[in-house]
Amino acid sequence: MSQQKPSNKSIWSLPVILAVITVITSAVLMLTHELTKDTIEQQRLEARLKSLQRLLPEQLFNNDVIADAVTIFEPEQLGHRKPKQLFIAKKDGTITALAIPVVARNGYSGDIELMVGVTVAGKITDVAIINHKETPGLGDLIERNKSDWLQQFPGHSLENPEQKNWKVKKDGGQFDQITAATITPRAVVAAIKKALLYQQSTNFESMTNEAIKDV
Amino acid sequence: MSEFMRTRLWDNNAALVQMLGLCPLLAVSNNVINALGMGIATVTVVVITNFLVSLIRPMTRQEIRIPLFVLLIASVVTVIEMVMNAYFHQLYLILGIFIPLIVTNCLIMGRAEAYASKNPLWSSVKDGFYMGLGFALVMVIIGAMRELIGQGTLFSQAHLLFGDWGEHLTLTIIPEYSGFLVAVLPPGAFFALAILVALKNKRDAQLKQKEKQVQSETATESS
Repeated sequence: MSQQKPSNKSIWSLPVILAVITVITSAVLMLTHELTKDTIEQQRLEARLKSLQRLLPEQLFNNDVIADAVTIFEPEQLGHRKPKQLFIAKKDGTITALAIPVVARNGYSGDIELMVGVTVAGKITDVAIINHKETPGLGDLIERNKSDWLQQFPGHSLENPEQKNWKVKKDGGQFDQITAATITPRAVVAAIKKALLYQQSTNFESMTNEAIKDV
Repeated sequence: MSEFMRTRLWDNNAALVQMLGLCPLLAVSNNVINALGMGIATVTVVVITNFLVSLIRPMTRQEIRIPLFVLLIASVVTVIEMVMNAYFHQLYLILGIFIPLIVTNCLIMGRAEAYASKNPLWSSVKDGFYMGLGFALVMVIIGAMRELIGQGTLFSQAHLLFGDWGEHLTLTIIPEYSGFLVAVLPPGAFFALAILVALKNKRDAQLKQKEKQVQSETATESS
């Protein structure tokens, strides 16, 4: 009997130890979550605003762009696989510019998600790469912080260059490609063109959050 | 170099000898900066988990040690991820996907099990540091090999880790280099690791040879 006691005790102590450690680690996790969640949310919002500000220059709008965003789903025209947010910049109620989400499905590996900023006149303000899985060191040079390839787009429109020249140089178009990576730039240029065509052919005035929600 | 350091950095190197943590080692070593970021993160995590595992040593029982270690490691990594997300957001955006990956690094579990659970606090912390350092060094070397052969540069994109002054760190070793894709792609990681392991084994064999010679010389002298 006296020999059984300690082993019994140690068996019962196992779940207790586990439970104690679980409670402690959970408490630490909860505490950290509580302490950091506001800062994280703020950082996310800031990062989002920052990327939007590149696409929609400040002087173009005085509305709350994030609150006024509408959800669109255009698998045909913009390659969407799920609904995306379209941001509309308005100055005193009139639309001045748009940030159009577009997906290039013909990248080198997987989809490339972009945001194209366009003024009402159809001029590109800027282009942002949101998400991609292109080859590190080659295809990923489309990212703004990895090379200045993206910087060739602002200022262009469907008239400049002509539509048939909306291609990379290798295909007889006007835009630079990236050495040793042609497929990725080709897909991105085509996607930007799609966004411009969409901007030209769509009436954004009638687009409101309510109208979309009703659908 | 003390025996303690030497075992951990060379004789028993986590990456080259124990082959632990190959997943992050191979996945994140496509350039020096990625490797360095991941290396620093790994050293931090293994030092903290070794400390904690050693701290709860009196409470640990043989039967439940593995779930305890898993709980601790997962919590530490999650806390680090949240803190980085909140206060080092830029770094988080770059290393973001790699941080949860640290949990899968067997090096951390391995040190908790093999060392920290049996040894006092301070030596566990030191053990974590040197083991992590050995791992990080191999990772940076592989990163350098792959980046140099793949793109002809070193320290490209350093601004992602060091901020603006990092822009000037990038060294273009081979100008006008058209790139060698295989080195940057996953197979390049295996090749680079294989080369390093081979070099290390060769060096060890040489050292052994020398030792033998010295031994036989002393043997003949004494006879």
